[in-house]
Amino acid sequence: MTGKFFRYTTVLAAAVMLASCSDKDYQVPEPKNELQNDAIKRSIGPNMAGLQMEFAYAIALPADKGKLVSAEVEASIAGAPETYIDNRSYYTNGSGDDIGIEVTNPSENKGNVTSVTFNKDTMASTLRYYYVPAAEARGKEVTFKFTGRASNGQTVTYNLGPFRISAMEMKLDIPVSDAGAKYFSIADMTAYNAADAAANADKIDLVYLHRTTPASFKHGLVAPAADAQYLPGVTLPPGVNRNTKMAKVNQLRDQQLSRDQFAVFVDDTDFQELDLSNGSNFALGLDKDYGVWAETADGKYRAYIFVNSVNNGAKSAVLSIKRYTMK
Amino acid sequence: MKKYISAVFTVVLAASLWMGCKKDSPVDEDGLLITTRAECFVASFDMLGSDHLVTNKAAVIDTTAQTINIEVKFGTDLKKIWPRFGLAQDCKLDPKITTWVDFSDLSTPREWTVISGNRQVRKTYKVFVTVGN
Repeated sequence: MTGKFFRYTTVLAAAVMLASCSDKDYQVPEPKNELQNDAIKRSIGPNMAGLQMEFAYAIALPADKGKLVSAEVEASIAGAPETYIDNRSYYTNGSGDDIGIEVTNPSENKGNVTSVTFNKDTMASTLRYYYVPAAEARGKEVTFKFTGRASNGQTVTYNLGPFRISAMEMKLDIPVSDAGAKYFSIADMTAYNAADAAANADKIDLVYLHRTTPASFKHGLVAPAADAQYLPGVTLPPGVNRNTKMAKVNQLRDQQLSRDQFAVFVDDTDFQELDLSNGSNFALGLDKDYGVWAETADGKYRAYIFVNSVNNGAKSAVLSIKRYTMK
Repeated sequence: MKKYISAVFTVVLAASLWMGCKKDSPVDEDGLLITTRAECFVASFDMLGSDHLVTNKAAVIDTTAQTINIEVKFGTDLKKIWPRFGLAQDCKLDPKITTWVDFSDLSTPREWTVISGNRQVRKTYKVFVTVGN
């Protein structure tokens, strides 16, 4: 019994070893002898109306088969007029820089289609396509069909997507100052002075202020309805009384708001899951790179307000906002 | 063959017996090791808000009176504070801190009990919060 067992085991082990040692000859891949293409999305982060989505579209064919004639991209939702295909083909040099060489005429937009026609005798090209979602694409999904044509009549296509266009809206670099535009409206994504705030009283969600006395909190955003101790020296315009809920955060540097290198993005999901039911109605001690999550008193909007910069001497700040409409 | 099976059986049995008789280290209901240490005190304390440290200066810990006095910055959202305790070795805290704590009622100090490593000594600390400028 034991002898048989060892014999079978040995044979089995030998078979396994033999099989695992069998050498497979490497075969150099045969390139396709025809027009080929590939596409990638280069930009990262939420896709937002008014912001470029960048794609790279590569097309090539063997030199003896002809040359490139045209390329086009069809979006399922027409882009804003700023949508275009860069008429240069890019390669990356030894220093890592992208170098562009003009290879096509300027691109044309016709409805959903953006196209270029090659004006250089070239067999390979990587084009950049910049799609700018229009406002009506907000909250929808968009797909792209890239098409390349060669002089030998061959046509190739590449489909990308779907990509969701965020429902968020964004406004950058809104100046606020303690002596001037201090009444911030999330609904209008702008800051008003006292006179304009009185005219838009039902839209004023926050008051910007800078104080070193009686408490030295410096920069703050406070709901008009907050306790008076958080609004020292502020006389609110008539009708400005909304109670905005907030939560202060630090170092949440959204790349699109800060335009800094941090690959951090506030997206629709953050607003959908935001819970400010126990939020305060004041955020004091703000500084550069601080942010405030906010929800308007009527629950219509949720927002992330980022502090791009502050000026202690001028008692002012520059804010950027991403806003999500809840209802 | 019988010898072979018998040998294997003996080894497995011996191993099982040895492992089965090994005395378990004592652990409490939280799965934490119960040690022989009787030290029971708060060594450090601070508070975090949703953005950063919200304290102006170091907390004053009185291990005799079992009190902690701490001043937070003006404008701190006292409803959303995450207290951080540093305890003597092997101690644990009751109740556990698993979420934000509401300190907004300044007149009523929050209480936590420190339990020693041997789980025999319990000391309840009161946390008094004041708001600075």
